[in-house]
Amino acid sequence: MNIEKLKSIIEECELENDKITVKNKLHEVVNFLKTQLSFDMLKSITAVDLGDEIELIYNLFSVIDEEDALLSIKVKHEAESISDIFSSAKADENEIYDMFGINFLGNEDLKRLYMPENWEGFPLRKDYIQDDTRLAWNDNGENA
Amino acid sequence: MTTARTLKLNLGPQHPSTHGVLRLILELEGEKILSCEPDIGYLHRGMEKMAEGLTYIQNLPTVDRIDYLSGCFYSELFCRTVEKALGITISEKSKIIRVTLLELNRIASHLLWIGAFLMDLGALSPFFYAMREREMILRFFEKLTGQRMMYNYFVFGGVRKDIDYIEDIAEIVRVLPEKIEDYEKIITDNPIFIQRTRGKGILKPETAFNNSITGANLRASGVNYDLRTTDELYKGFEFSPVVLDGKDSWTRYKARIMEIKESIKIIEQGLDKLKTCGKLEQKLINPLNIKLPEGEYYSEIEAPRGLASIFIKSTGEDKPYRLKWRTGSYYSINLLRELLIGEYLNDAIAIAGSLDIILPEADK
Repeated sequence: MNIEKLKSIIEECELENDKITVKNKLHEVVNFLKTQLSFDMLKSITAVDLGDEIELIYNLFSVIDEEDALLSIKVKHEAESISDIFSSAKADENEIYDMFGINFLGNEDLKRLYMPENWEGFPLRKDYIQDDTRLAWNDNGENA
Repeated sequence: MTTARTLKLNLGPQHPSTHGVLRLILELEGEKILSCEPDIGYLHRGMEKMAEGLTYIQNLPTVDRIDYLSGCFYSELFCRTVEKALGITISEKSKIIRVTLLELNRIASHLLWIGAFLMDLGALSPFFYAMREREMILRFFEKLTGQRMMYNYFVFGGVRKDIDYIEDIAEIVRVLPEKIEDYEKIITDNPIFIQRTRGKGILKPETAFNNSITGANLRASGVNYDLRTTDELYKGFEFSPVVLDGKDSWTRYKARIMEIKESIKIIEQGLDKLKTCGKLEQKLINPLNIKLPEGEYYSEIEAPRGLASIFIKSTGEDKPYRLKWRTGSYYSINLLRELLIGEYLNDAIAIAGSLDIILPEADK
């Protein structure tokens, strides 16, 4: 991965542990990686709840060069959608929306995926409700 | 929008061909599919959330259950990541045992797929044939590990115990090639089968890349990408990835048949190596106080349904802070949105079946 090439279009990116950290302009960076550096597949998007913010890790892959690129961005509640660049991002973003409650701007198809439509809360967040009466095992609302 | 001329049709959630519970919301005009909206989540078990509450050894038996047809792969993935984080190298014989069992597991998974796929198309007999051969493999696994599907056989630092019943594996690889020939005689050139699969569900490489499709589905579209060629575990094993250029459902079937043959080759090599390498020597770590050093760990493997990967973030405690699985089926299901458009309703099942979708794997 040639970070210098990337730096030419965006200044605020850092490289640490083979992971490129960007602060904004995610859409632009992903687009650049796909069109200029032939990273033509998005393997997955991973979300990690860090407490006060959520880190999104984009794992891009170049099939021709068999090379990976990790892109990281920290967000609060909203992030730029890249579903217009990679169709598979639609699926990943939907999963993250369901599990972390991140709203991807530009992705119109966000809906509850694994959880029921009327479910409250986002299970993989660290502040997810612990004593949930909906999960009670008896009629008195007792939780295990 | 459903207009007066179009019809909304629910395919599923219960349908004999979906091997799980998948609901496809189709919009039809006559018999032509205008749009497809997959609805999953019926088998969601919260694997990722559960993992955060369990220690590493408590997590180990749960990972087989991500995909009940290829449990070995997810065990291997999990063990590999923990070993990488702790800096453990596994012994040569453990590696050979792992490769042999992984490939046996891959064959069992592909066999079930062949049976189920043909059943989707209305042919019942191949299912019984495929199940008969798969049974041999499952019997062997049952003898060795005590389990037919969730083996829990790989542990951190190697395997649970030395491999036994090698003669059973030898019997499987002796019998299987002629059975595969039989399948080919019944299925491959069958005019009805060809009519239902040839030229149906064309998956162009660009569409595959865009939708993150990997594994046999990608290789049947003419892209040579097989993770096993670069995998450390498969070092010393000779095989050639199956790359075909048909792009349709028939080619995806053919690719899997050929992959079984390649897997047999790998197992034969594994057997030869097992005969010469003596008793199993391995240093297992105490599993009760495993604490991964702080950091992020990532591994991937070529599973039967495409690339599978795991991401673990550790804060130095005995439980993972975050664990994420990437499974092939999830992306194959989302591909249906594009792949089914313009096809006919009676081909929808054939196309969805050809992608080898396993629902628990997608739902996690």
